[in-house]
Amino acid sequence: MAKRTPSINTNNLTAVQLMEIDACTRCGECLNWCPTYDAQDQPAGLAPRDKIKRWKSYMDRSYGLRAKLFGPRPVSDNEMQEFSDDLYYCTTCGVCGTVCEAGINTVELWESIRANLVKRGNGPYGKQNMFPKLIKEYHNPYMKDQKDRLLWIPNGIEIAEKADVVYFAGCTAGFNQQVLGVCTARVMNKLEVPFMLLGEEEWCCSSALVRTGQPHIDDVPRLAAIHNVEALEATGASTVMFACAGCFRVATIDWPRLIGRKPKFNVVHIADLLADYIKQGKIKWEGSLNNQTITYHDPCHLGRHCGVYETPRIVLDNLPGAKFVEMDRIREEQRCCGAGGGVKAGIPDLAVGISSTRIKDAQDVNADILASTCPFCRRNLGDGRDSVYGITGTDFDLRDNPENEMQVEDMIVLVAELMGLSTKIKSQMEEE
Amino acid sequence: MDYYSNISFTVMTVIAFIAIAMFLYGMFTNIKKWSLGSTGYGLEPSNGSIIVFIKTLITQIRKEGHGQPFLTTFVLDILLQRRILRRSPLRWFMHITIFVGWMALFVFSLMMFAVEIIEMIGISLPHALHPEVLRDTMSLPNDVFSYILLVGIIIAIVRRLFISDVRENTIAYDSVFLGGLTIITITGFISDGIRNGGFWGFGIVDSTAPPAALFHVVISLLFCLAYIPYSKYMHMIAAPLALLANKGGE
Repeated sequence: MAKRTPSINTNNLTAVQLMEIDACTRCGECLNWCPTYDAQDQPAGLAPRDKIKRWKSYMDRSYGLRAKLFGPRPVSDNEMQEFSDDLYYCTTCGVCGTVCEAGINTVELWESIRANLVKRGNGPYGKQNMFPKLIKEYHNPYMKDQKDRLLWIPNGIEIAEKADVVYFAGCTAGFNQQVLGVCTARVMNKLEVPFMLLGEEEWCCSSALVRTGQPHIDDVPRLAAIHNVEALEATGASTVMFACAGCFRVATIDWPRLIGRKPKFNVVHIADLLADYIKQGKIKWEGSLNNQTITYHDPCHLGRHCGVYETPRIVLDNLPGAKFVEMDRIREEQRCCGAGGGVKAGIPDLAVGISSTRIKDAQDVNADILASTCPFCRRNLGDGRDSVYGITGTDFDLRDNPENEMQVEDMIVLVAELMGLSTKIKSQMEEE
Repeated sequence: MDYYSNISFTVMTVIAFIAIAMFLYGMFTNIKKWSLGSTGYGLEPSNGSIIVFIKTLITQIRKEGHGQPFLTTFVLDILLQRRILRRSPLRWFMHITIFVGWMALFVFSLMMFAVEIIEMIGISLPHALHPEVLRDTMSLPNDVFSYILLVGIIIAIVRRLFISDVRENTIAYDSVFLGGLTIITITGFISDGIRNGGFWGFGIVDSTAPPAALFHVVISLLFCLAYIPYSKYMHMIAAPLALLANKGGE
């Protein structure tokens, strides 16, 4: 009889990660926090500790003592596929790692196992398999022509030929939620912070590929990282500024890992810059929120992954007429909006289910405005808001926000409005 | 030659070495398994040499960046288990009593074993370290830490019996772990009680003291040493290493 071979391999997992799998004490703390487990009525298979236990079982069946003595025991294809699907029902928010008593770095673990499963043929999930092709071919996930990278810029915005700051707009602000790019640029102009843009040389940060376990496919994220870093370094700027939490996370954590060195520029989020200007009294406000209650949703990629918690709060707390309140589950213990880890693209119903819970957190503190600093949070919290309030509509940016409904908005849009700047995007201006 | 608790020293030594051998082999198997991973993110899997795990762990612990210093992690997160305290004071109390009780009794047992061996070899020890004297000296600390361990175990059992979430999520993997600890602790009390004629002896005749002690020692060595690499006990080694590797965790 032919000797059985192990059903799984250790591709994409580090030696330390394999050890971390044995570190789980099964205390169950992660069950109290996991947004997916909560939104799906707590099925055991979605519990982070159950995923660790199952992978440990596969490892032991393949490489444990018994496997050494009597040969590996097989893991059935059905079992493996079910595990893979459960693993993709995860936003990679990382709250399980934050509360883990054994300090397991779960975000990295999920992403590594996902990559292993993709290589094995079990992942990714649903439409997520389109990401590599789109990002490789178009350098953005929206199938837009790179030549149109700067189409979002309306008249009146000054882009410097040479400056110390580059604004890395990101695909979503450039193509999909242009109001974010427009507001960021107008605020920077108003604050007299000269900035450059990469334009056609800006490629997708490839966050979606890393998060969904597809970094190895055609080496797209690494090539994009090399391209972006080299293009940014070629500008000579000392600072690269981001208004997208997803791009910011990739630039802070993934780029150095992908290119094998630290880039020769500082990575800054717009919230840091604005908080600094507020502290120096350099922002002149021209509007007021008229005592509206505002609360802040920490994006996972900005907060938990990169540690930026304070500066967005400084900005929001200083908005004129704002009554800033905190929701339940904030900062390190923040509840995910549900869009991350490829869930918005792969399992949109789950994403909205999770965001609805977040909207209820905001309702509990009677928030008139739920602000964030990430386009994906903005989009998904907006969808969650619509689900909770029963709103229908398709165009997020143009959708009405009747007074009795909660406004979901990005911090930069609120800042632009209160600085007296237009938040209209180019197409809206042209219509007029 | 009798062991301090009247167990045959030969039997004791043989069992101890079997337990140590089983522990070492289990650890070797685990480290070989971990070493099948790569030395860094996105790199190819390695050849499985045990050096790979050790090297990767050291590299990750020494890597600069996000996280807290080694000593902070060691003291606050490993010894004092701050991360558990943050989440649940009751669970922390349960875990810290088990941890402190287990570790103290383990160290005391090692001390006794060491002085027995030294005595056997014929090396003269100071009077205070003579096995008979040391056994009496350690009697009170042994009792104290045994009760500390017992308190933790009782809380763990009560949680699993009366808190529905905990009960429903308990699987054999957890039960074997807790069951093993309970048996070790209770047999320790009973064997000591028989020898001293105390409450825990339940009036059992003195002559059963050696076999009772032997039973306690055997299952202690098997559960608390030999079984570690093959069970949930493994977290006692892997969790501190994970905390160190991740600089205290997020």
